[in-house]
Amino acid sequence: MDTSFEEKSVWIQLLSLVVGLGGYLVVAGLMLTNGVSALPAFVPVFAVAIVLIVVINVAGHVAAAIASRADEADERDQLIGWRAESRSSWILGLGVIGAIIALILSVGGVWVAHLLLISLFCSEAAKEVLQIVDYRRGI
Amino acid sequence: MARSGTSIRNEIRTLRFHHGEMTQQQLAEKVGVTRQTVNAIEGGKYSPSLEVAFRIAHVFGRPLEDVFQFVVESA
Repeated sequence: MDTSFEEKSVWIQLLSLVVGLGGYLVVAGLMLTNGVSALPAFVPVFAVAIVLIVVINVAGHVAAAIASRADEADERDQLIGWRAESRSSWILGLGVIGAIIALILSVGGVWVAHLLLISLFCSEAAKEVLQIVDYRRGI
Repeated sequence: MARSGTSIRNEIRTLRFHHGEMTQQQLAEKVGVTRQTVNAIEGGKYSPSLEVAFRIAHVFGRPLEDVFQFVVESA
């Protein structure tokens, strides 16, 4: 597969997001269904997720830089990034509106926080998938 | 002659051949983009900005319309 450094970077970010935040959301979902509703109980799991995201990103980018030329992003990379962002950011917006409505309805803080995290996860994952589609299919 | 996703046709492959079989990497370095972007332009998967189009034409020492042609799609 003929991929630029920027495209490899998108793949690495997607992987770190799915493993880190995706993994966290699975664990948090299990905790919530088992009746854990105190926000501090989620903090250590979230900390592990953040560390995983950082480690995968750093290791992945180092490996990608060693394996191929670490070219700077050019106009095509920027355009693909902007296009993907403009087509995926509404998901996060929807999550924020949902969180505001949930707060008005006095839904528990732990649910509101996770609604925001889910919308952030979906928005970022959609952005990265759309970038990969544009890289592969052309724009 | 490359022709596919966009309505911009180009002669980059032919011009590279006539310039000592210039590689995509060499052209990319002269223009200031990545090799993958040159590959995408050449394959009709990306229409470059006007500035990059002029830079490519300048590398080959040809007017812009010798390198890129706009194709009107018939209905």
